[in-house]
This record gives sequence, structure tokens and C-alpha cells, in this order.
Amino acid sequence: MFADSSIKKLLIVDDSKVSRMLIRTHILARHPEWIISEAACGEEAIALVDSELPDYCTMDINMPGISGTDAAEQILSQHPSVKIVIFTANIQETHQVRAHSLGTILVAKPVTEKSIALTLNHFKDSE
Amino acid sequence: MNHLSDLHLDALAEVFSIGAGRAALSLSEIVGDEVRISVPSVQVVNSEDINSTTLSLNSGRFGAVNQHFSGPFNAEAVLLFTEDQALKIVSDMMGSQMSLEELAEFEHEAMCELGNIILNACLSAMADIFNFTLESSLPDYTVASADEILHRLKEDANQPYVMILHIDLTIEKRHTAGNLVFLLSSASLTNLVAHVDQFIGRFS
Repeated sequence: MFADSSIKKLLIVDDSKVSRMLIRTHILARHPEWIISEAACGEEAIALVDSELPDYCTMDINMPGISGTDAAEQILSQHPSVKIVIFTANIQETHQVRAHSLGTILVAKPVTEKSIALTLNHFKDSE
Repeated sequence: MNHLSDLHLDALAEVFSIGAGRAALSLSEIVGDEVRISVPSVQVVNSEDINSTTLSLNSGRFGAVNQHFSGPFNAEAVLLFTEDQALKIVSDMMGSQMSLEELAEFEHEAMCELGNIILNACLSAMADIFNFTLESSLPDYTVASADEILHRLKEDANQPYVMILHIDLTIEKRHTAGNLVFLLSSASLTNLVAHVDQFIGRFS
């Protein structure tokens, strides 16, 4: 039996429980079959990517411990196939540039249908 | 009586971190360098319980930007930095090698502008996320001692609740810490909690 290719694994990385809940709810409304895991900091995210090998990842920047962009860089150096969206309120030019240099995009919070659509489009386009 | 659960405080911290992100973007355009603003914690307490420790008010003079907000809830917002830190922020905002005397001349205007940016960014994030409209008065800046500030925060019996946001601000690698304080009436706090409940209810 082959795995259903429409079932994707998404890792949500955000120190705010409310943000993780919002992202999860919006994503599951569109893709109820996806398997979602959560991490509250960059270090936890790096460990989870090693063990769960998600297809996609949303990554906040300002979190306790290492920044989300540093975590994304480490994840991509080990697992370049993971598609990452930097999903953050920290919307300054320097972070936009860094996100692009990592091959990711920066999507501005708040978590809304619109920002989730941008995130999903990036995942789809980078397939 | 505290009406707020950990989830309420998490939701408010997230709303204010979105506001802080917007304020950092505006300030980075003014200073031409990266600005970091984070809101590590949100607390709601009775105004009679606040003291110099709650607000990290040690000795010295403090710069306070005041602004009134009205809408589904009314609040008096006060952004607090030590005067030394306020002058450093002004120096970063003015972007030149000014003397202390020259900086003091711009302190009032620059701090009003800083307050306007941070307060409106936080309140506009709240208004967008909770789907309501808030009107704001013009900002006002005063320099006062810790005792004078505490007295002012506690004196209005109609605003018995205080929401405190601890703010970390880094401009051009220079770190300062301040507080953003909202004075709320009982009815305003109830309305605010109702909006947070509505927001949380959308996805839980």
C-alpha cells in the first residue's frame, strides 16, 4: 500500500500557544488530512524535524532561545527538502531579505485566511 | 479579581507582539537600522497592587508618554522609560551627534512620536484582530519621579485595573527596557475580556 501523497506533515513553530492553535485551525479547515506537530522554540523544532521529517514548516522569529531564522537555517542545512515559511510579526526589511536568502518567504502575522493562503501557496509552488 | 486566564494573557501577548512588530518596522524606517521590540510578558493587576517593583521603577526620573483611547473599551495608556533611556532613544531617532542640551530640546517631540508609534501600533493590531475601532487622543509627554508616576497610576478610582506590558526595545544594538501601562475601568476590562473570549472562541 502506498502512502497518500496528499497527506502532508506540517510543523508549526511558535512560542505563542494561541498562534499555534490559530495556524492549526486554519490549516486543518483546508486540509483536514494533514498531520500537524508543534514546537514552542527553535531548538525543539530542530529536534522534531530530525525525528518527524515534516514536508512543511511555519516558523516564528522572536522566540525564547535561538531565533526562528537561525533555526530555519539549521533545519535547511540538514533537511533541504523541508519547505519553510517564516510566519512572524517581525516584518522589517532585514528579516525579509534573510528569509529570501534562505529560500523561504516571510509572511506577516496576524494569522488570517489571507496570510494562511500565502503560506499554502508557497508550499504548493515550491513542490 | 483577575478575569484573565493564561490563554487570555497568551492571546493578548500575541496581539501586542504583532503591534510591536509594526512599531519596530516604523521605527527602523526612522533610524535606518534594525529595531527590535518584544513584549515578553503581559500582566493584569489591581492598581492598588502596583508598586515600584512591578514597573521596575527605581530611583531617578522617568519619561512618560500618555494617550487616551476610546472605543469598545476605554483606556489611558502610559509608555514609561527612564529619562536616561528616553534621551538615548531620542538620540537614536535624531541620528546625529547632538549635545545633551540639544537632545533635551527634541526630547518632548521625539518621545511623543515614539509613544504615538508604539501605542498606535499596539492598539491598531488589537483593533484589527478583535474587529473593532479605537480612537486616540494626541500623545502628551511628561517627566516625573517614580513616586509621582505611581501616584498618578493609582489616583483614579474609576480605573482600578492596570494591564502592564513589559517592553524590550533595541535600536542599533542598544538595549532599553520600558513598560506600557493601560489603566482600565472595571467595565472596560470586562469588555476587553469579552473580545479576547470571542477571538479565542473562533478557533478553540
